[in-house]
Amino acid sequence: MVEMKPFKIISKVNGSTVELGVNPGRRLIDILREDLGLTGTKEGCGEGECGACTVLINGRPVNACLVLAPEMNGKEIITIEGLTPEDELHPIQEAFLEAGAVQCGFCTPGMILTAKALLDKNSDPDEKAVKTAISGNLCRCTGYVKIVAAIRLAAAKLAAREGSI
Amino acid sequence: MLPSFNYYQPASLQEALTLLASLPRPKKLLAGGTDLVPALRRGELYPANVVSISGLSEMKEIKMERGLILIGALAAFSDLVCPPCFEGAHRLVAEAAGQIGGPQIRNQGTIGGNIVNASPAGDMLPPLVALGARVRLCREAGERAVFLSDFLGDAGGACIAPEEILVEVSFPALPVNAAGSFVKLGRRNSLAISRISAATVIIYDSYGRIEEARLALGSVGPKPVRVPSAEALLKGQKPAPDLLEEVVASVGEAVGVLLGSRSSASYKKAAVRGVARQVLQKADPRFMNSGEING
Repeated sequence: MVEMKPFKIISKVNGSTVELGVNPGRRLIDILREDLGLTGTKEGCGEGECGACTVLINGRPVNACLVLAPEMNGKEIITIEGLTPEDELHPIQEAFLEAGAVQCGFCTPGMILTAKALLDKNSDPDEKAVKTAISGNLCRCTGYVKIVAAIRLAAAKLAAREGSI
Repeated sequence: MLPSFNYYQPASLQEALTLLASLPRPKKLLAGGTDLVPALRRGELYPANVVSISGLSEMKEIKMERGLILIGALAAFSDLVCPPCFEGAHRLVAEAAGQIGGPQIRNQGTIGGNIVNASPAGDMLPPLVALGARVRLCREAGERAVFLSDFLGDAGGACIAPEEILVEVSFPALPVNAAGSFVKLGRRNSLAISRISAATVIIYDSYGRIEEARLALGSVGPKPVRVPSAEALLKGQKPAPDLLEEVVASVGEAVGVLLGSRSSASYKKAAVRGVARQVLQKADPRFMNSGEING
């Protein structure tokens, strides 16, 4: 058995600088959930198939179950908790509620972060673009129809908010 | 928790090569991690040392230089979907990269990882073989370049030493009068391993006849195979629906021979005909009957 040396990381998680010595045999999802208490990130399959653990690393959606903890070093990470200040809902979260896109809720944080990455790049995605964007996020409850509707509603909400500023 | 190992994050390629040369085995290189992390978790690998090269931005570049298209081994699949150099005939690279895994995997997984892990179903391999790609491998003491088709072992896997890093893959840019495409057959559109994939490159003469055709199939053997019988049928001909049927039949026969008595043989022998038909029609619409729409 090799004695693992902790690896020192400095990264930004939801806007705050995090300095930790991490055991290289842990994964990003372990650090988020167990050390930082960010339990909004869910572990589904643990193999990169389901997308429940999706977080944004430098703005791109990735599966936190496939990232070794030391790989966080130097990266900017956004989890569902970091989408808005506490007690506020992001327009994408509002849209998910209004469209009835949440059932059991397990896939929702990953879906919403994937939607955020899409809407950051494409402010008015058509149905096909939405379906392609969420093709790495599985949902066992909704049948996806309301999730797709929610993401398009979120686009409209964001556009309206942009217009009113 | 994964097995125990020491982890290193070198700041440059040189530092990574020095580390790899000095660290004792078993050692593994970490790029995107989409194959390595699940394998560690399943207990299939138990390296004492893991060297992460994911931060080496010098290995992420995609550029065209002196008639060659050069792709840094750490380019993520999603980096390969949009660049202008993968439009036109070279679009088979973007088409293959854009269908790997799901969006999250494409943001993380790298072309170099796909090549070195050399899965029979590795989707980047057939397009790169069809394009005549070479890989450049570095070690502390020097470097070598080999054709991808030779780098991939006949019994599977890749011919790489634990001290080596695949730094770049390159292929000659196709002439203006060329076409290419990639088609994958999976159990569903997203997150599915290829059951069969096909990539084609067609180069035309000035009369619109096929001067050279290359057809590479994935998932029908340990590594991508070219289909010489089909390529010979295409050479010197003008693309047409009748010619396509002949070619498709010969692809089916070739795959039947390759797969022999494997349980998937009867399915793949039939299915590959459809995949071959699609990939050629996608590359050149003259293979289609009038009114036919390529799905």
